[in-house]
Amino acid sequence: MGYVAASGGRDAIEAAEELIRASQAAANSDPLTNDQITQRFGAAVDRVMGEGGLWEPDLAAAALRQAEGDTIEAAHLLRAHRSTMPRFGDSGVADADELEVLRRVVPAYQRPPGSQILGRTSDYSGRLLDTAEHTAHCRNGTPGGLDNETRRRDVDGSNIERRPRRLMALLRDLDLVVDRRRENDPAPFDITRMAVRPPAPRSARLAVMARAETGALVNIWYRNILGPDGYLHEITLGEVRHGRLPVRVDHPVTGRTVAIGTVRVTEVEAIEDLDGAGEDRERFDVGYGMCLGHNEKKAIAMANLDIACHRDGGRSQLEQSLLLTTDGLDATGFLEHLKLPHYVTFRSMVERKLAVRSAADPAVADNAGSVGDVDHTSTDVMASAEATA
Amino acid sequence: MTVVPEVESVECIRPTPWTVDALVGPARAQTVLDDDAKREIRRAVLTAVAIPGYQVPFGSREMPVARGWGSGGLQITLALAGSADCVKVIDQGDDDGVNAVNLRRLVTRATGATETSEVDEATLVQTRHRIPEDDLADGQVLILQVPVPEPLRGVERDMRELRRMHAEADYAKMWVSLYEDKVRNGVITQSTGYPCLVNDRYVVATTPIPRWDVPRLNHAPFLSLFGAGREKRIYAIPPDTAVVPMTFDDVPFEVEHTPGARCDRCDTDDTYLVAVPGGIGERWVCSDTSRCRRHRTRPSRIAAVTS
Repeated sequence: MGYVAASGGRDAIEAAEELIRASQAAANSDPLTNDQITQRFGAAVDRVMGEGGLWEPDLAAAALRQAEGDTIEAAHLLRAHRSTMPRFGDSGVADADELEVLRRVVPAYQRPPGSQILGRTSDYSGRLLDTAEHTAHCRNGTPGGLDNETRRRDVDGSNIERRPRRLMALLRDLDLVVDRRRENDPAPFDITRMAVRPPAPRSARLAVMARAETGALVNIWYRNILGPDGYLHEITLGEVRHGRLPVRVDHPVTGRTVAIGTVRVTEVEAIEDLDGAGEDRERFDVGYGMCLGHNEKKAIAMANLDIACHRDGGRSQLEQSLLLTTDGLDATGFLEHLKLPHYVTFRSMVERKLAVRSAADPAVADNAGSVGDVDHTSTDVMASAEATA
Repeated sequence: MTVVPEVESVECIRPTPWTVDALVGPARAQTVLDDDAKREIRRAVLTAVAIPGYQVPFGSREMPVARGWGSGGLQITLALAGSADCVKVIDQGDDDGVNAVNLRRLVTRATGATETSEVDEATLVQTRHRIPEDDLADGQVLILQVPVPEPLRGVERDMRELRRMHAEADYAKMWVSLYEDKVRNGVITQSTGYPCLVNDRYVVATTPIPRWDVPRLNHAPFLSLFGAGREKRIYAIPPDTAVVPMTFDDVPFEVEHTPGARCDRCDTDDTYLVAVPGGIGERWVCSDTSRCRRHRTRPSRIAAVTS
């Protein structure tokens, strides 16, 4: 007998898909290529790779194109794509000191050890809307992109340290930071293979935040600054870094460690003033954030929440909020599921409303109970309800 | 194993080169879930069957459907289904609901299983919020999509405390909540997803199936698997397991009932009916469209209600 279509559900969803295809086909501009997306929408591509937990700019570009620019939807496409793939290895431990910085900002000191590198940023550019379609990103602009003066000043300077010493090292030399380095080296908690719940190791919290939806993390940070929670105060940023980090794996045949490429990451160290009772008032503590791609908003929020969660020590439900409520796919998927049919549950809820009413007043119950009778009109019921009120 | 073809020179007799392509293997048609994940999910299912009602954490994968849209049930179905299986997928009891159609489409394409809307033809029934009215038999598997697997969330938010409560079978807060509900409202107002004690040990959330369906889980001949993809939990009610709704000795468990309501299509009053608001008062139709179609006694007076 097989499947019998009764109400046209299949036709409806195929028609909906056709509407998307048709409207895209009808657009009077060329479809975007991967190169256009990775080169022109770098921030969006980086964000999708970070929230998708997968470094592959071309796939992220394809996802963004398919999602029509919706970053959460694009991250969903990336993660669902990854679910189709077997995992056949883990990378070695990446040493963050190997980060080759493209940008490094140390707000805590004017002249920190190593260079301050402003790098590629619009932080200090006026937010003036450029409405010209072609001048800002003209392919026929300056050959090679940069004039020699810019290259000398900011990008190609041979005197710039690409692997500067960390501010943390200076603070340790000055004995100004609590030493939380551990002797053992447990394997990190793999949030893609195990369901995380509090209390969780720090590696789990960091992994969750690294993949979290940027807006969700920024919101949890801000609601703790200004909102009702208030578990954290403003930190001083020790490091804000954006750069390339080599990824190494053990070769499956030779067993030798080989570098298979680099990923760009944003890394932040946040210096926290310890002012609580029982805390070390002579020293600072440090929160850590790192995420794939260039996403400073997220890495800064992450570092601040990392130290806040450590200081909280399980007293509040901050850890549960971080672990369980910051994933973009979880939150938006569940939110949007409200659009699914709910008429089975709603009928049950209506039935209980009438049951409460009849328990409160048996006279109303006689009428309310017969709402479903086809011979009764709704006006009959309303009139009866008024009569008993 | 790779079959090495006949070769002339010794140099050619080498194992397949260890490239990424070789490790990944040939592309398969529309894979949704890799084989390691399927094995992991089957193991979680076995654990769940061994401890009826216990929520087994698992490494829930991201599916081509959003979380909250049946990703947990889908992972179980994909892990269990093969080309010899026949799947029935319903949403609200309807085989032709848009989400049921989408999930069925994914399952059949990814596994090669055939599809049906008839319970007796199905080896696996994936469902959102209903148990089919037709009896399932021993050997059939019911896979329920679960939005919220934690039955105690309404009375306790802290996951650390929830873990303790389940571990110690400390369900006092739930009993107090039900008692207060009864005292304040005259009835227990829990509508769907009624909390049940499974095998006299764990309290479970009965997805949000209506109370109408709850008694049919008790000592059922079939296996029920509950998949919560977003919350990364799987739990099970094995065949012939006691499932008792939490209520008091002097407060009978009530299923949905509206006096006088009959299906407008098949004229039954013995299925879960859903209301169809209309100009001259409410009418009713079966939520289980497949059973209703087989029992139809007269043409519907309501044109294409669910389309």
